[in-house]
Amino acid sequence: MEELYKKVPCRESQLNDLLNLLGDYDEPLPYSLFLSGSMATGKSLCIESVLKYLGYKHVIVDCIECYSPKLMYESILTELGSDLEIKSDTMLDLTNALNRIGNSAVRYEPMVVVFDRAERLRTMDQSVMCAFLRLRELCNLNICTIFITHLVYDNFYFKMGVREPIKIFFPNYNKDELFKIIFLHHKSFVRHVQSNHDIDIEIKEELEKPELFANFLNAFLSVFYRPCRDLIELQNMARVNFVKYCEPIIKCEIQAQDLSKLWRHISPILKTSLELLYLRISASKSSNPSPGKENAEHESQCYNFEHTLKDELTSTKTFAQSFELPYYAKFLLIAAYLASYNPPKEDKRLFMKNHGKQRKRLQQVKAKAKISEKLNTQLGPKVFTLDRLLAIFYAILEEKIGLTSNLLAQIATLVELKLIAGSKEIDLDVSKYKCIVGYDFISAVAQTVGFNVRKYLYDFI
Amino acid sequence: MPEMIGDNVQIKLIRKYLKLKIVENNVLFRNHNQEKCHVYDIIKRTILQGESHSALVIGPRGSGKTTLINSVLYELSKEVDIASDAIVIKLNGLVHHDDKIALKSITAQMQLENAVGDRVFGTFAENLSFLLSCLQSGADRRCKSMVFVLEEFDMFCHSGRTQTLLYNLFDITHTKQAPMCVLGTTNRLDVMELLEKRVKSRFSHRHIFLFSNQDVEVDGREAPARSPLELYKELLVILLSMPACIGRRDVEETPRRRKAKGKTSVNIDELIQTDDSSNYTIPIEDLERCKVDIKQFRLDSAFIADWNTHIQALAATDSVVDSIEKFCYYINNEQIFRDILFQIVSHLSPNKPYIDATDVTATIDKTVAPEHRVKLLQSLSILELSLVIAMKHGMEIFDGQPMNFEMVLHRYTKFANANSSTQTVPRPVILKAFEHLQALEIILPVRNSDSIYNASDTTASRVQKEYKLYTLAVPIEDINEAVKNFKALPTEISHWYNNSVV
Repeated sequence: MEELYKKVPCRESQLNDLLNLLGDYDEPLPYSLFLSGSMATGKSLCIESVLKYLGYKHVIVDCIECYSPKLMYESILTELGSDLEIKSDTMLDLTNALNRIGNSAVRYEPMVVVFDRAERLRTMDQSVMCAFLRLRELCNLNICTIFITHLVYDNFYFKMGVREPIKIFFPNYNKDELFKIIFLHHKSFVRHVQSNHDIDIEIKEELEKPELFANFLNAFLSVFYRPCRDLIELQNMARVNFVKYCEPIIKCEIQAQDLSKLWRHISPILKTSLELLYLRISASKSSNPSPGKENAEHESQCYNFEHTLKDELTSTKTFAQSFELPYYAKFLLIAAYLASYNPPKEDKRLFMKNHGKQRKRLQQVKAKAKISEKLNTQLGPKVFTLDRLLAIFYAILEEKIGLTSNLLAQIATLVELKLIAGSKEIDLDVSKYKCIVGYDFISAVAQTVGFNVRKYLYDFI
Repeated sequence: MPEMIGDNVQIKLIRKYLKLKIVENNVLFRNHNQEKCHVYDIIKRTILQGESHSALVIGPRGSGKTTLINSVLYELSKEVDIASDAIVIKLNGLVHHDDKIALKSITAQMQLENAVGDRVFGTFAENLSFLLSCLQSGADRRCKSMVFVLEEFDMFCHSGRTQTLLYNLFDITHTKQAPMCVLGTTNRLDVMELLEKRVKSRFSHRHIFLFSNQDVEVDGREAPARSPLELYKELLVILLSMPACIGRRDVEETPRRRKAKGKTSVNIDELIQTDDSSNYTIPIEDLERCKVDIKQFRLDSAFIADWNTHIQALAATDSVVDSIEKFCYYINNEQIFRDILFQIVSHLSPNKPYIDATDVTATIDKTVAPEHRVKLLQSLSILELSLVIAMKHGMEIFDGQPMNFEMVLHRYTKFANANSSTQTVPRPVILKAFEHLQALEIILPVRNSDSIYNASDTTASRVQKEYKLYTLAVPIEDINEAVKNFKALPTEISHWYNNSVV
């Protein structure tokens, strides 16, 4: 029992509920349970460890893996140990097979079927989940179905209503609990640091001190708790950042006891790594690969590649530059962006030198139309034709160039690079395009050719 | 010390017995005597007189339709020999909605698989009449009566396909080929509309309604309906009390004398024990089905008496009565009430040998108003909650127009810029938080393109994720509740929430 609580920390009340409901071996199980709660709140872990602890016959079905009812029925039967044929096409076959298993058992044996990611059951025929909810009644066995999902029960619509399951909710871990859980893995964090660095024994002892880790975690959570409460993600980020936290100590630049200095060292790093949250780009490996190893060169290469990739992805600017588009292609892309985000009506005013009387009405138009939520830049790109693209392209390009096949090929390239979405029409006159890059990207591209996009965007005039 | 251990074992046994009673006992049927007699009559006449009948039992979910039929069959089995005189075939719409599967199951339940063998039948009717003829070809050429119980009857009325099974079954009852009784249970009042014309004309139109607030007939005269509160209170007592007759047999032997002992020891129990003692027991058949030996429940009768007093006292407690009333106010479903009792009973342990009134109230509160959505909102991160708030504000300003990520971001950055204390979070992280909300179905994508924004857009289905339109899928009240009780919510956020427009 103690072991169970140790294995699943901070979930005592849920564990107690589950243990009580599932009861003793010879007691009847409830009809069905419904466990809900946000991602990474220990739902699957709880139920798995409870079932293992109780030693009931059980099967855990992942509803992503078993995407059709047939696969699901068969995986249930395989796990529950039917030695007969496990072909099962319909619910009838399943209940019959389960009954056969149940009747062969000498005692009143409890069986549990767990459906992980049960929200996927909604994509199947509705009768499947309805039937699973009353599986106990259908097969007259001591069988219980447990549904695990991150949705609340209200998100499961049943046309005709069902036999309601008993619901248990898993709240998210709060800051203290997150601290406690991550702190449990202190050892593995230290090992992670040690595997990346060669460390003196003296410093090693320093690193193993729990106070150091606790301090780090406090600093870490103060930054990361606000945007993210996902334990798995936080653990991953903490692992990455703890290495950086320890670096100055390893290099003997900062004393391990000098907390304020360490905080000053880590806070900008944490801020920047906040950008990497969820993106799972593996952060830079050790900056000094251990010498003498054969694959040192390969490793550093690998590191370089990862480093550049990371850089490219972290800021849109470098990402935009990484395409290294030709000069005219950049202008084509800008033209495409302008065509997508400007209303065609305003083209005349934006791109022609002599647009006559229009200017007079400008103030009125401005006063009327600028509702921030209805800006074109917020509604998404509109489609445009090739004619319009080329017209804007020639308007924003100062020099005069001919319309060559080279130029048209650039458009095809942009489509291939998925910077512009185009229809697969062969006829150039009817095909429609849409620019699918964001403002950050386009302004980075425009900067390289010295073009001010804002000046030509209707929203910002 | 040995006394203590004895108590531990006893409380475990009580827990097991009550759990069995709550979950497995499906023949106990209370109230609706008239309807019960009706069904009883129909089945009895089919079996004994060889008449053919059809009927539909209609009632809301959890009103006891299945229990009614089960209890009738159970009581009949005491009077007539169902096993040799009749065949009971149970089909469930959830499992047997396909006619072929249903026929297979019918064959199996008639135990005629061998007779059918590899025979190939042209039509469904042919197959069914073959099955019937197989039954008739017994030694005395007398056909066994058949009782068909079709649960989730509405599932058999599949639209689109022909209702072959129903047609054939009703046709047999209509033409009286063989004594057969077809009983359907459903919770759809409009079930008759679903039937095909030819099916409808063969159905006897015998409807048996089970509504909880019906007037009941007591001793031949109409009595006013009993309130659901009383019914559930009675159910609580019935389901949680222990039968005295399974008390330890070391002192007395016959049930009568054991009751007498109970009488002398505890006076309060006198009433229940003499009247309803049979109500508290689980029928032997149920126990056998569960492979449980009745003899293992060797309880001290004084202990049982104690327990029953405790339950009586519990049912009389004001807070318990209040919360049962609350339950009746929200839900009228016996299954759910049984689930609640199951949860309460499962809390029993040697350390906690009695049910507290607070247990009952807490469990009922949890079931009636789970507020999981509020809890889900409260388990969001601050950033995610801010996005929800931004979205709520935006939708308030634009009269519930759906919003895309860019609009929400715009609103959020406006707030974040106004408050220097909030950390700035990069755009990809916000987008990820937005996607998280979407995965939790707190926001839902707008499917139909009747919105003003993309009315002209032909490629609306292929917009980028930043521009996909979403609506809030949680009621404003839930957000209010969540923000009000959010633990450690920064003050500027609650302030922002309350002063709607920034």
